[in-house]
Amino acid sequence: MSSASGASAQAWSPKVVGFVCDWAVATGDLTDERGRLTSHPSVVLIRVPCSGFIRPAWLEDALKAGADAVFVVGCPYGDCLNREGNYLMRERVDQLQRRLQRRKVEPERLSMLAHGLHDREAFLGEIAALLERLRQIGPASKGAAPARRAAAAPAEGS
Amino acid sequence: MYRRALTALQRFTLRLDVGMNRVYPTDWNPLYYTGGLTNLFLFILVLSGIFIFFYYVPSLVGAHASIVYLTEQVPYGGLIRGIHRYSADAFIVAALLHLFRNWFTDRYLFSRDSPWISGMFLLLFGGFAGVTGYIMVWDERGLALLGIFDGLLRSIPAAGTKLAEWLVGAAGVGEGTLPRILLLHVGPASLLYVLLWWHYVRLRHPKIWPPATWVLVSLGLVTLLAALLPVTSGIPATPGARPSTMPLDVFFLLPFWLAGVVPPFLVVLLVAGLFVAGLVIPYINRESPAEMGVRQPGVAQVIDGNCTGCELCYYDCPYNAIIMVPSPYPGLTRAAASRKLLAVVLDSRCIQCGICIGACPFEALELPGMLESDVTRRVEEAVRAAETVPA
Ligand code: SF4
Ligand code: SF4
Repeated sequence: MSSASGASAQAWSPKVVGFVCDWAVATGDLTDERGRLTSHPSVVLIRVPCSGFIRPAWLEDALKAGADAVFVVGCPYGDCLNREGNYLMRERVDQLQRRLQRRKVEPERLSMLAHGLHDREAFLGEIAALLERLRQIGPASKGAAPARRAAAAPAEGS
Repeated sequence: MYRRALTALQRFTLRLDVGMNRVYPTDWNPLYYTGGLTNLFLFILVLSGIFIFFYYVPSLVGAHASIVYLTEQVPYGGLIRGIHRYSADAFIVAALLHLFRNWFTDRYLFSRDSPWISGMFLLLFGGFAGVTGYIMVWDERGLALLGIFDGLLRSIPAAGTKLAEWLVGAAGVGEGTLPRILLLHVGPASLLYVLLWWHYVRLRHPKIWPPATWVLVSLGLVTLLAALLPVTSGIPATPGARPSTMPLDVFFLLPFWLAGVVPPFLVVLLVAGLFVAGLVIPYINRESPAEMGVRQPGVAQVIDGNCTGCELCYYDCPYNAIIMVPSPYPGLTRAAASRKLLAVVLDSRCIQCGICIGACPFEALELPGMLESDVTRRVEEAVRAAETVPA
């Protein structure tokens, strides 16, 4: 798990997938056409209609497909355009985090952020901090990634 | 012009939020609870109002005396009267903040017009109850207010005289007047709760109350105000006499002050114009969602065979757009085979936010414009894009 930590840590860019609510931080001019952040090209964003739209299973999918971390960006708590989306998502992320931790997946690999429309500096700052933490814990080991889909075990789901 | 102003105001509102979030944890930001605060003040008004109602005598000689008795003789009567007065002011302030906040942050558009329209009526009737409340005190100001109100109504062509008679009674200001005013105070105030039902009907878990800390702070604030700046009763009204002073309450009585400056009919037109403008705000200058760059993934669809009737989507939909009906036939999957309920999306209420998609653990809901398969494909693409980082 700690194979990448060391001298070459700076060179390694963790692969990160981020789901961003359409109404949260504006990223139109921060990404290229494939959704990569220009400042951190190994971070790829997917815009969704609301942070609450995200199924926890998709976050697991991203980890399974080889991402080192996933995150969700919603609006500041209390300020969701749809009133509740970010609270609901925060709960689902917490649940999934606990479930993944039982499988020895570090909690850093899954996070819920909240940034309003014009908060891009704070957003980019948090991404940089996230990458730094990921460099410390190293790439996700294949074995630790969840091996099954959440839908197969719905009783556990959110 | 209008749009540019709104964009600027939206920026300002969001900045204010960010600033406020530095002071309070976001779950506590009072700006996120303007609606809850308004409702809280309304509740304080109702409770203190019931207390005052026990003492109030709606007659020409009795009204002012009963208020004086309440203020000076009844234990805590003056305090409760003060709380009633100051929470009325706080109610209007919180309601206006709520209005502007939702206006500036686009929370009135498209299918969210019903809270907006009902909000306009709430404001109208709330303001009206405030004015009749001032008249009820039946001091010089109350009488003067009644006179101006009467004049405003009479200035309306054709219907004016009839309306004025409804307000004060056909015989002019007399014994019949104050019972009417009492009714016109309590009636609209009760009507507010009917309107609140309309205000909330499309919202699941509406934030009706602010966090407990803010409840206590607000309650403390109005109590402190009532104790430090006790509400005094003016000189009792004598119909026919000219009032010596007329203290102005900016929150309720602005139109009445205006009536002394411009012709009454203009004031009526202004108030009516503001109200109508408020009603049309959600519909003017309306761009379609596509023009605004808003994604429209379509109304959520239930994949009938997969739904197990677990009700999770029903609890999470913020707009009360999902109802659970008795399942007419068993589902197709093993989990859904013995279901009792089936989720149904009400098209007219769904605003296409997709929150129910995230809530459903059985893959039984889809947004037509962003299917689960689209998302999983995009996740794979994203991981591949992250792997092929340009040098
Ligand atoms: S998309 Fe789902 S959660 Fe959102 S309003 Fe429609 S039914 Fe409700
Ligand atoms: S969450 Fe899914 S399975 Fe549960 S009632 Fe709603 S549609 Fe049916």
